[in-house]
Amino acid sequence: MNAVETKNLHVYYGNNHVIKDVSLEIPEKRVFALMGPSGCGKSTFLRTLNRIIELREEAKVEGEVRIYGKNIYSKDVDPIEIRKNVGMVFQEPNPFPHLTIYDNVALGVKLNKLVSSKEELDKRVEWALKKASLWDEVKDRLGDYPSNLSGGQRQRLVIARALAMKPRIILMDEPTANIDPVGTARVEELLFELKKDYTIILVTHSPHQAARVSDYVGFLYLGELIETGPTKKVFENPEHELTEKYVTGVLG
Amino acid sequence: MKWDGFKTVAMVAVALVFILFAGMLVTYFINALPAIKRFGIGLYINNIWNAAEEASKENYGLVSAIWGSVYTSLIAVLIALPLAISYSIFVVEYAPKRIKNALIITSDIMAGLPTIIYGIWGAFVLVPFLRDHVMAPLYDHLSFIPFFSYPPVTGYSYLAGGVLLGIMVTPFASAIIREAYSMVPTAYIEAIYSLGATRYEATKILLGYIKPAIISGLILAFGRAIGETVAVSLVIGNTFNITWGLFAPGYTISSLIANQFGNAFIYKYMTSTLYAAGLALFLIGLLINLAGLKLMRGWEKNVRI
Amino acid sequence: MSEFKLRKGKEKLFLALISSLTFLTVLPLLHIIFTVFEKGFQTLSKGGMNFLLGTLSEGGIGPAIVGTFFLTFLATLLGVPIAFFVGLYAYEFPNSTLGRWVKVLLQIMLEFPTILVGVFVMQILVVPMGTYSALAGALGLATILTPYVTIYTHEAMREIPSTYREAAYSLGLTRFKVLIRVLGPMAKRGILTGVLLGVAKVAGETAPLLFTVGGRYESYSISLTKPAGAIPLLIYQLVQSPSKADHEMAWGASLVLMLIFLAMFIPLRLSLKEVKL
Repeated sequence: MNAVETKNLHVYYGNNHVIKDVSLEIPEKRVFALMGPSGCGKSTFLRTLNRIIELREEAKVEGEVRIYGKNIYSKDVDPIEIRKNVGMVFQEPNPFPHLTIYDNVALGVKLNKLVSSKEELDKRVEWALKKASLWDEVKDRLGDYPSNLSGGQRQRLVIARALAMKPRIILMDEPTANIDPVGTARVEELLFELKKDYTIILVTHSPHQAARVSDYVGFLYLGELIETGPTKKVFENPEHELTEKYVTGVLG
Repeated sequence: MKWDGFKTVAMVAVALVFILFAGMLVTYFINALPAIKRFGIGLYINNIWNAAEEASKENYGLVSAIWGSVYTSLIAVLIALPLAISYSIFVVEYAPKRIKNALIITSDIMAGLPTIIYGIWGAFVLVPFLRDHVMAPLYDHLSFIPFFSYPPVTGYSYLAGGVLLGIMVTPFASAIIREAYSMVPTAYIEAIYSLGATRYEATKILLGYIKPAIISGLILAFGRAIGETVAVSLVIGNTFNITWGLFAPGYTISSLIANQFGNAFIYKYMTSTLYAAGLALFLIGLLINLAGLKLMRGWEKNVRI
Repeated sequence: MSEFKLRKGKEKLFLALISSLTFLTVLPLLHIIFTVFEKGFQTLSKGGMNFLLGTLSEGGIGPAIVGTFFLTFLATLLGVPIAFFVGLYAYEFPNSTLGRWVKVLLQIMLEFPTILVGVFVMQILVVPMGTYSALAGALGLATILTPYVTIYTHEAMREIPSTYREAAYSLGLTRFKVLIRVLGPMAKRGILTGVLLGVAKVAGETAPLLFTVGGRYESYSISLTKPAGAIPLLIYQLVQSPSKADHEMAWGASLVLMLIFLAMFIPLRLSLKEVKL
């Protein structure tokens, strides 16, 4: 079963038709990269997958988004439950500045009462930070604040914050757009590890990054899904003319 | 859909605020009704105040208070206009950073200072000063001009009220003008200077650009002035008058209420009359503030790109 | 060449005019502060501690000081929780009909003549209760406090970058938890400043107290349902009295009030970039 499937997905911002009839399939425990030029709706699309799009009052969603077979837009579904199972990492690393490193990772777990004791919470925080490949760098300063971390470290902290909830799917909105190259490399390395246990849906404006890290790819252009498939195939043998223009020069 | 706890709680709070406001409007209306029914439109256009133990002999008219409120607020705005504009220009264009901050903070202090302190200063300091150094000379030499024709005896007067209110509302007008000034796009300012304008010429042009904001600021200052109570009631003399004479004592709606409400319960219709006065103030204030806000929003929309 | 000199001359004249008018704008405040200090200090030094602690017939304003603190405290208790939630509502639902109406209403209430608030509270509390009371006064003050705190809360929340709002929701938190447990604490400083500024303002209000608290200056007992005193109200009463001694007391009380106000307002103001008026 696919982790995520969208069927005839449309998104409107007021009168703007931003996502036009997108149907795609995202297999589980792989990295799926959504690529395309800036401003074509990739971030909007991503936000439909955990219904965060609803935070924008003018946004309207039509169509289906199925997570493990269940349409998350059906009337009886509570978006809050969805978000407990779908984690998110943002373009601008955004650990909460008023919380310590520990509290940042623990926040979702604590407020949702996912564990029942302090010891369990400590263990979960450690586990998440290890999974995010940040533990060694912060284990002695969990009471410190994120402002003392580098951009790349902050992003890994955000990843830990999402991982701590033990979601099945992780959404990443251009996670390395605002980090230095070294930090970027670390995050990309991390993806290879994470995909063993999680489905990762990554939005990127760099076809190079998509080619580097993803197993499957989707090319979104002006709100329409132009092409989708295994990364290697789409890059080496694109079917659509637009795709070909976009991926030319990336490989080889 | 799960129950949105926040929305429920918050809406209760919001409802309370609306109910409070609506309650005020309703209370004023209901309590004003007896007087309105009894005196008709005369309530608002007659100048008369006959308090009598016998209800049939009572007769009240509020025009003196309405006149006083409008007159003193006008004076206040006329005073605030040059002061607020000059102040804003100085702060935005000329003042070095330290002085700029000091000036802005001073203005904010003036805006927040308890009005009773303005009142006591007004009553014991401003009034004697105005009487001896402004009203007396003007009356002695220029009493043929209607504005100066009323003999200044105590000094408690429309002028004193207007000047005090002017001092009090200038910070509010300044704040709006200052903010409008800072909203002018830098590109626009650069364009003016690149044409070789001096500071004075550029300022003239910019003032024209932010004119709606200036008007809005003055309208809001007028609204503030008309709603002020204790400071004005201590310097206006609390006498029923209708005259252009600046040195005459008078009443404002708010000072009338403050002054007369205490003993109004003795008479059958006085309380209701005072509610009618309050209603008038309510509506005047509402209209003025809405007008000022609307003007400001309209201008903001055009300025913000 | 002389055209240029003329323009330059106008320039200098303009600056002179502007500066003198600016000075004229702030002069009253300087004079007020100076006068209140001068005259109030005379009273204070004559009366000493008795002035601050004694009852009115003893020549002191003690009950008024206590009354002011009590009323302000009550007003805060009544007004802040409501203001907090209304501010959050306006933040979270800015484009809903109710949200937009709330913002308009707040602007109206901010400019509302305070005497009208006082008379209203008198009608709905004092008349039915049959007595002046601290509760009525506090309600009047709370009505004035609420718009301030609401607007400050709203603005403080709006300053939080929206990415944190998304991050909080993405953790599967309910709206209540997002606002109260994550974003609210982030805006804590701004909200607190707003509350304190509002408190500084209502502590100096007179009109809402005119027909609600009655004025009580002979005893110290504080009770919700009995009359109370307050410094601004006492000053208003003393100024209107014909007695010179009362006037002296009024100056002394004004000094106390002004000091309380400045002590609260100036530090708060310095810690902010700008204030709402």
